[in-house]
This record gives sequence, C-alpha cells and structure tokens, in this order.
Amino acid sequence: MPIGGIIISVRPEKTEEILFVLVQFPGVEVHGHDEQGNVVAVIDAPSTWVMEKIVKKINVFEAVLSIGFTYLNMEDEVDGPAPGERIPGLFHGVELDAG
Amino acid sequence: MAQSRREFLKKTAALSAASYIGMNLPYAKAGVAPGAEEQTWHRGSCRLCGTGCRVELGVKNGKAVALRGVKDARTNFGYLCMKGMLFWKCMGHPDRLTKPLFREKKTDKFKEISWDQALDIAAEKFADAVKQNGSNSVGYYGSGQCLTEETYLFQKVFRGGLQTNNVEGNPRLCMASAVGGYLTSFGADEPIGGYADIEQANCFFIIGSNTAEAHPVLFRRIMRRKLDNKDVKVINADPRVSQTSRIADLHLQFDPGTDLTLLNAMAHVIIEEKLYDEKFLSDYTAFKSGKNETVDLEAYRKFLADYTPEKAAAICRGNMTADKIRQTARWFATSKATLSLWTMGINQRKQGVWANNLIHNLHILTGQLLKPGADSLSLTGQPNACGGVREGGGLCHILPGHRPVEKENLRNQVEEAWGMPKGRIPAEPGYHTMAMFTAVNEGKIKALWVNCTSPMQSLPNVELYAKGMKREDVFIVCTDIFPTLTTQVVNLILPAAFHFEKTGVYGCTERRSQLTVKAVDAPKGAMPEVWIVREWARLLAIKLQDPLIAKCVESYDGLEPDYALPKAIWDEYSQKLTKGRDNDLRGATYEVMKQMADGVQWPAPTEEYALTGGTVKKFVRGMDPMADSHAKDDKPYQFYGPAHPDGKLWIWLREQAAPEEVPDAEYPFYLSTGRIVDHWHTSSMTGRIPELLRANPYAFVEINPKDAAKLGIIPGDMVEVESRRGKNMLPAKVYEGPTQGMVFVYWHDQHPDRLINKVTKDAFDPGSKEPEFKICSCRIKRISGPQALTPFIYNG
Repeated sequence: MPIGGIIISVRPEKTEEILFVLVQFPGVEVHGHDEQGNVVAVIDAPSTWVMEKIVKKINVFEAVLSIGFTYLNMEDEVDGPAPGERIPGLFHGVELDAG
Repeated sequence: MAQSRREFLKKTAALSAASYIGMNLPYAKAGVAPGAEEQTWHRGSCRLCGTGCRVELGVKNGKAVALRGVKDARTNFGYLCMKGMLFWKCMGHPDRLTKPLFREKKTDKFKEISWDQALDIAAEKFADAVKQNGSNSVGYYGSGQCLTEETYLFQKVFRGGLQTNNVEGNPRLCMASAVGGYLTSFGADEPIGGYADIEQANCFFIIGSNTAEAHPVLFRRIMRRKLDNKDVKVINADPRVSQTSRIADLHLQFDPGTDLTLLNAMAHVIIEEKLYDEKFLSDYTAFKSGKNETVDLEAYRKFLADYTPEKAAAICRGNMTADKIRQTARWFATSKATLSLWTMGINQRKQGVWANNLIHNLHILTGQLLKPGADSLSLTGQPNACGGVREGGGLCHILPGHRPVEKENLRNQVEEAWGMPKGRIPAEPGYHTMAMFTAVNEGKIKALWVNCTSPMQSLPNVELYAKGMKREDVFIVCTDIFPTLTTQVVNLILPAAFHFEKTGVYGCTERRSQLTVKAVDAPKGAMPEVWIVREWARLLAIKLQDPLIAKCVESYDGLEPDYALPKAIWDEYSQKLTKGRDNDLRGATYEVMKQMADGVQWPAPTEEYALTGGTVKKFVRGMDPMADSHAKDDKPYQFYGPAHPDGKLWIWLREQAAPEEVPDAEYPFYLSTGRIVDHWHTSSMTGRIPELLRANPYAFVEINPKDAAKLGIIPGDMVEVESRRGKNMLPAKVYEGPTQGMVFVYWHDQHPDRLINKVTKDAFDPGSKEPEFKICSCRIKRISGPQALTPFIYNG
C-alpha cells in the first residue's frame, strides 16, 4: 500500500475548483495549497498501479498543469512482486536449453 | 495519542512535498520529521532521462522501500516524475538476468555458464577476431546510460589495448548533431549555461522538443516560471501539437523539415528590424559561409534576403503566417533573456548540425547568451550521454576529455596518461554507429560488444541491420539487466548490476557530474560492468600475448568492484585526462561529489572551486575559472573553445535543405517518432513496470482528423503505416496533434507489428552521422476496426 507525496500545479484562478475535485478521489488527501496554485496532496493507494491511475485522472483536468512527485514509500510492496508483476507469457524469465 | 504507522508516513509524504514549495503545514511542529526513521537514505541520480534529477533511495533490511527527491538539488529541487519514482521496481524484478548465458550458434538455445567460462569465451572470441582479421574487426557499442567509469574503461581497453577506435554508443543516435552544433558555433561542446537560466528567462523558445513528456521535471520549472511571471512568453515550434504546447503563448506548426527556413526567417526579421546586438557582434562574432570562408554582416544580410517571413510562411505551411514569424523573432530578440530548448526534433535530422547552428545563430545575433536567463540549451535524452560518452571518449572520433582522435598531440597525451608508447592509439577514427552496423552487415566486424543498449530496436531501418546481427560469423556479447530484442541475436549474455547496485558518475545536460553510490546488492550473479571489463581484459592480454592490454587495467588490481574500483577509474579519468581540458573535472572527486546535493558543473579544476558547485556559465570571466586563465584581453567573455582558434562565436550561413525523403504520390505522408511520458526508450525497463506498461501498453499512430476523415479512419481503427523499408500495424489515435499530412508514432513498443524503426529511414547527417529518425515518408491505410492487442516485452 504505497503512499506518495505530490505537488499539483494548477492555474491559480482554478485552485478552488481543483481542490473540490481532489477530495472526490478515494485515497487522496489535500494537506495544503497556496496562492501560486501549488497543492500539496498525499495519495494512499492499494498499489502503485492504482496510484498511477489516480494521477492520470487528476492530470486530465485542463486546470492541472503538472503533477510532481516528491516522495514515495512502498515498503509494503517490496517483500514480493507487486500485484500483476508476474504476467504469464510476458514476464517469466529467460527460456533455457532444457538439456 | 500515538499515531499509526500509515498516518506517520502520510504526514512524512505531505511534509516532504510542502517543504519543496516553502509551505508550512500545521503539524510540522508536532515532531514529525521529514522522512521515515528506520530507513537509510542513499543519494543518487534518476536514470530515466537526461535531466539528472537527484533522488534518495530509502533502504530497509537491504531492500529499496522508498524514494524521495532531493530538495537542494539544482536539477529538480526535489521534484520527480512518475517514471522516475518507479524505476526501483527493476531491482527485484523476476526477469533480471543473473547468470551468464551462452550459445555457440544464434539458432541454439542459451545455456547457463559460470562467470569464468563466460569471460574466457568473450576473451577467446575477441582475440580470435583480432588474430584472424585485425584490430578493426572488433567493436564496442555502448550507451548514454552507462556510468562514466564504464564507458571510460571500455574505450581504454578497446583503444589502448585492442588498438581500435571502433568505440561507439547510442548517443550517436540522439546527441551527435548537438555536439556538432556546439563545436561549430561556439568552438566547444556542451552548453554555455544550464537549468539555472530557466528561472531567469523571459522568453522560452522550445523547438523540436516535447519537454512535457520527455523532460517532465524541467517542464514543470518552465511552467512555474511562466505562471509566476505573467510577462514570460513561451513559444513552441513543432510540427506536432504536444503536451508541451499547452503552456505556449504561440505555437508554430509547420511541415517537418522546413524549420531551417523558419530559423533563417527569424534571423531575417532580426536583421531587417535591427534587433541584433551590434556591440556583441563586433566584439565576439565571425560570420562563416564555410569553415575557412569568413564573410561579414552585409553578406549575411544578403544571404537572408530571400528568407522573408512571407516566403517562409508559404514554405513552412501548417499554421504559419508572416506575422507569427515576425512576432516570434521580436519576442526572441527583445526579451530580457531568451532561453532556447530542443531535443531530437532538431538533432535527429539529416541537417541536424545545421539546424543546431541556426538556433545558435539567433542567440549570437541578439546577444541572448552568457547573461542570466539567456542560453542555447540542447536537452540531453539520456542520463550520461554528456558525461560518459561525449566527455569520456565514448564515440569513435573522440578520446577522453573532448580530444579529437585525429590530433596526434592529443592522442599522445592520452597514451602518456595510460603509460602507453606513442602511436599505440590508431590515428584514424573508427566506425561511427551506422558505419559500424553496416560493417557488421558486411561481415567486417567479427566480434561486437553491446553494452546497455538495444540496437535491434533503436537503429533506424532496423531490419536491414538485424540481418548483420543475426550472422553466425559475427560474435556478439551483450551486457544488460534484462533480455531485450538485442539479446535474441547474441551469443553471450552477461548479467549486469543495475543503478544503485553499483557506484559511478552520470553527467547530465548542463555539464553537471553527479555520483551515485551503491545502496543495495545486485541480484546474486549480476556484476558491475567495470569488474567485467577488468577481468575480461586480463584474459584478453594472455590470449593475445600483449602486456599492454593488461596494462590498461593493472592499476586496478585487487580493488573491490562496488566502490574502490570505480573510484580508481574516476580518479584516473578526472585527474589525468580532463586536466587542462575544457571539461576539467579535477575538482569533482568522489569525496567532493558525496558532499554535494547535486554534483559539480565543469570546468571545476580544484576541489575548493568544485565545492561551490562549479561553473554555472562557461566563458564568463568571474564565473568560469578557465575564462580567467585563458583570457586573451580584458573583455568580459572569453571563448577558449578548442575548435575556434580565433576565439569567436561563429554565425553560419546555412540554407534550407530538404530531408532525405519527402512525401510523394506513392508515400504521401511524413512520419515522425518520439517518446511518451511513461516509457523510456526501448521499454525494456519501463515495460516491465506494470503501472507504466498498463498506462501505455502499446504504441499507436497519431493522425490529424482531416487526414483521418479523408481515409475513413476513426479512433481505434487498425492502421498500416508503411514506408519503402517496412511496415507497422497500429491502432489509430485521431486528434489535432500532428500537422496535416504527418503521422506520429511512439517508438518504445517491442512488438514486431509495432516496432516503428522497421519503418524509419537510416539516412544520416554528413557531419554528425546522426540518423534522421524524425522525418521520412510513408503511406497509411485502414486495415480494420479496433482489435484486441496485448503488450509485448521480449523475454528470451
């Protein structure tokens, strides 16, 4: 269950609008914002895959100019491959001569 | 009340983000320190583009568990992109190569062998090739992703040991035209300024670069500069509307290959409206119609007479008008500081060097150089194309320290530093990349070492060169961390350690060298390349009975490979080979770089100076120690670059010249290619990170809606993209991206149906030898409606 710290840069005049949008996303917490359109948010997601999907969805809004990551903790994921990491037929290692 | 572990981590994440923008959060005083406490943090660079973002890898129980940006790093100020945040997933991936694999014939299956056997085979095959066919029958093909220590050591053994200059690397495919442009315009390779100019620029001229996707962290800085300063202008010149265009005040869209006309037309306006800097021109500039042909401003004015904005708009087409060209030229010339940025749209061209020259021309004409915020800045694509390959001697014509091979006195300097007799390094440059793979096709190269790159995917017109790589009489060894399309045609695969599993230096776009120290162990069996080369060279010396091969590595005897060995190599390179050169790195020792959040910008001749961060602006007295030590007069700027003996900047008279292939009745479309934000090059790494793969599981072809309507193509349809060389079948994305008459395809996809370099053309710039990936002609047709596709990553 990774936790990411991000700064979302939005058009300053649209900050309130984006803050309203962000609170609709499960796992997204807004921790602060400023007059320059910087929004500090944390994403607590079940996987980095879900986190990536959330970031993509936020990035769709026209008022969102960029999303910068500053921190990612994934200590729950590293003891084994992330869900879906072993994809049959895709990630399976090198085929060797059986002989 | 004690907070939960998750709450603690969330506050840590928020505090980390807030600290980068100077925001105070209410719980900052509640005893939550930025960063979790059980981890150890290891500083290094991101490896997934050329920006050089600094990161800290959090390690717990020997495993990477967290990543954060380095707030004090002047490359990224703590910001990272999603791709950079996830590269750690390559470390423990189940596909990692961990055993040397060998097969005598390329049609056989691989067998696991020991390292002793593998190194012996590699030495035997290279020795046999040299004995039977001479030194020029062997070659090294490396990468802008190798550490400097790796590139330096490989080229030392090939040049000083095996006596061949067949040393190349994939930066030939991306940066060679920028090298040619800097050398011919400024007399010295690599930019004068750097990223620090972003926060002081008032006009950005972004041409041939989708910065938003290829360099997202730098794009953020540009965007921030614009948002915080309403008078800042952004001009985006590109045949395709991209993510970068969304912050542009002016987007100039034109037919591919007509940008030389645009750039000359801007110069025309600057001259006619007297927007040039007369004093700067008179003090520092020469006009050149040829290397040995100097002309004057009047001749330049006459040369430009035909490039009126009206004529240029008619040639460039797209959305261009004469007024837009005039506006662009005025903004460029009259802003307090103009910063140009470009990447492969300019470099990967048959006229790549000329296109670079014409951008530099505009900066020289207007004096938009050397002052804060003004620069002509070529962005690098790979993390160590500059540091390792351009500076470390990783191209066939350049020895370490920016020394051209053909200069005898410079070869002698290198020979002396290596303790070799004069004449040991051959006088002739080796094969450049396209010549090297042509030589493979012709059977002239008998043994090739491919390191950390995948030419089976990244070469243009790749099927032509695949034929050579599949030849049974060409022995190929490949060092990598994963199977790639290239490992499928090699005889020997050597498993390498990944980033943060070894130690070494990357040098990014802005002349900045940064150290990454090993933080975690490589999977058992994978080894650092510097160890591999040292051991191989020892065996090679025995098999060829040549003690000078052994001499290449004898000073590294007994050094452990994780730190002491790369440090010894860096010390030799920086202290002996950069001394007195324009990339003087003597001050950038490991000890100094470990103290710096973001490394050192050269020239940095002393440790004391390097500890200040080095040289932010080259050629400026008081800012560049070499500008002071090489001063010829009392002027504030001193151009000491080795390629211009007159000490001047050169404005070039370069005509519009057509690409090698333009649309015709049979192939009526332009084809261009590029990156997508989630993937890196051939996707052998990013394609194995499920989050990134699923975000963009396959490539597609972007088609302008007007063209799509004419051809009856709707979004999702399967479309055949065919050139005279090959074809792809890709799903269509129909949108106002590419200009009418042009299609665009991402190049990361490995699937044989979507491998776009089967379609691209292998013409190359006659000066830089860089191929023209960005322009060829093709035809497209609808094959079917949408089809279910599966991603494809080659696994051996």
